Amino acid sequence: MALINGVTIAIVLFGIGLLGLILRRDLVIKLLSLGLVNGSTILCLVSLNARVDGVAPIVHSPASVPYVDPLPHALVLSAIVINFAILALALVFVMLLVERYHTTDSQRIEHEIEGERTP
Amino acid sequence: MMVALLPLVHFGFAALSLAWGRVTRELILLSLVFDAVLVGLLSAGLSQGKPLVIVLGGWEKGIGIELAADRFSLNLTVLVLLLGGAVVAYLWHERLRPYFFMLLHLLLGSVYTLVFARDLFNIYVTLELLTLVSFLLVGYERKPYQIWASLKYLLLASLGLGIYLLGVAIIYYHTGTLNLGLVAARLVDQPNAPWVLLASSLLVTGVAVKSGIFIFSLWLPAAHSSASPAISALLSGLVIKMGVVVLFRLTSAFSLSLPLLVLGALTGLLGVIYAIFTYDLKRMLAFHTLSQIGYITLGIGIGSEIGIAGSLEYIIGHGLFKGLLFLAAGVAVRTAGEGDIPGLIARRAKIPLSARVALLVGTLGIMGVPPLAGFCGKSLLSAGVQSPVIQTVLILISLGTVASFAKLIPLFRIERGPSSTWPVKLAFVILGLPILLFLPLARLLVPTAQLSLSLHVLPFVKSLLVVGGGFLLYRLLSRRPFHLPQRIFRLEEAILVILSGFFLIYLLSVLG
Repeated sequence: MALINGVTIAIVLFGIGLLGLILRRDLVIKLLSLGLVNGSTILCLVSLNARVDGVAPIVHSPASVPYVDPLPHALVLSAIVINFAILALALVFVMLLVERYHTTDSQRIEHEIEGERTP
Repeated sequence: MMVALLPLVHFGFAALSLAWGRVTRELILLSLVFDAVLVGLLSAGLSQGKPLVIVLGGWEKGIGIELAADRFSLNLTVLVLLLGGAVVAYLWHERLRPYFFMLLHLLLGSVYTLVFARDLFNIYVTLELLTLVSFLLVGYERKPYQIWASLKYLLLASLGLGIYLLGVAIIYYHTGTLNLGLVAARLVDQPNAPWVLLASSLLVTGVAVKSGIFIFSLWLPAAHSSASPAISALLSGLVIKMGVVVLFRLTSAFSLSLPLLVLGALTGLLGVIYAIFTYDLKRMLAFHTLSQIGYITLGIGIGSEIGIAGSLEYIIGHGLFKGLLFLAAGVAVRTAGEGDIPGLIARRAKIPLSARVALLVGTLGIMGVPPLAGFCGKSLLSAGVQSPVIQTVLILISLGTVASFAKLIPLFRIERGPSSTWPVKLAFVILGLPILLFLPLARLLVPTAQLSLSLHVLPFVKSLLVVGGGFLLYRLLSRRPFHLPQRIFRLEEAILVILSGFFLIYLLSVLG
């Protein structure tokens, strides 16, 4: 097994995404990092269950060759759709916040909201 | 049949309520009637004692998605029905868009799915759906603090479910299946392989973010206290419990006893400490959700039959009284125009009598005054515990619960106030009556042999002593304002805490 394969790349991407989520204060960049985290889990799911020498899992192809497992692909499809929905909705809410506070800085927004709630 | 229909009915009604926007209230009432019929059929089907299993699409087990109903899930469906009915009654006179009712249907549908789910990926999808729906419901009124709370919730929950998906990937790579029963069967000969420990701690971390375990669910106090009351009731009563139910299902395949015990004790104690020093009514209720989840997790971690029965009873009981408390708190805060407990007490004449009675019933329930709902769950739990350490933790959490709710006592002076509308009163009755009559009703939930454990004199005396001790503790602490760190509830810190929590779980499962 080569050192650089799907799983190691996924782990590195996961780490980068986490760092982005923690260190960057810009909400949009936070969302991008979340996308990176979720994308890396998908990469991990696919590449763990990949079969390099397999053929497409169609019933009529010759039976002697091993099939690729189709299930992870089905899983990944739904996971991608879900992550898309989450990012889209989160962006809408970020937009609402930006309209009101004119900043994407998460700590400033949090500070202002805490100030509003405890007058 | 019923198992697949229960979720499907609601997803169908979700579409209908968008199409027929004029009759959304009637539609949701109709759907609850459907549910009641289906739950009745389900309980008839379960009367032989065998679980009902259905694999969707007519596939064999291991290929298709499996849904299964046992007594545990039957009892949870009853809780969903009661809470759903109460929330619909509460919202009867409010002006809400059809979109809101669509979200409500989706929430109920995904809750029903999770109650029956036995497939790791199906659980993932449904948890994500639940996250999205509750995200939209928390931010429904578009107030800035609601938007921020729900955004924080979405980011953390999505991160958590990403971690969960990593666990699923490892499990699928090694066992080639996603069905929990089959995973359990294939793990029998290697329960402590390194990858099993890694995968199970990833799964538990992911679910814990959704299920209100203190160090993982730091989004919860903000989200549950800023949502509108009916939503808070559903979130605290149902949505959080679903994470716990998933944790319970995971214990069938992995050995999680030690991590769950430690997490339960931590969340119970920390939640109660925060609740004691919080003076905002809804925020205090939210912290209490965390602490009571501690009880439930402890019961699941014990793993004995009595412990799990106690957990189940406490899930039902907590759903009822936390739902009631949030609804009543909503009325109280709206009529008094003040969310602070001292402010509420100063203006208690403005609060309707029915809301104050409902708050009283909920408070007595959560304190564990016999023979109400909280008492049954607590006494069953402590009957299932052998270890003195866990026993002490349980008593400490109970003491803290009483001490933090003792703040509300001045509210309960009987004076005539304005009257609230009949649907709101109906909502209070739907949730309050089962709390008062929990002991006779609990015969339907758990076998009578286990129930009789809580009917001895000793639990009665013990819980009365605990209530008394809690009041003493409140007297001692009430004069000392004490500032607990609030920084951990910020987004960045919460992510860091989740990560360190993952390492804690991994360490514990290596040790356990």
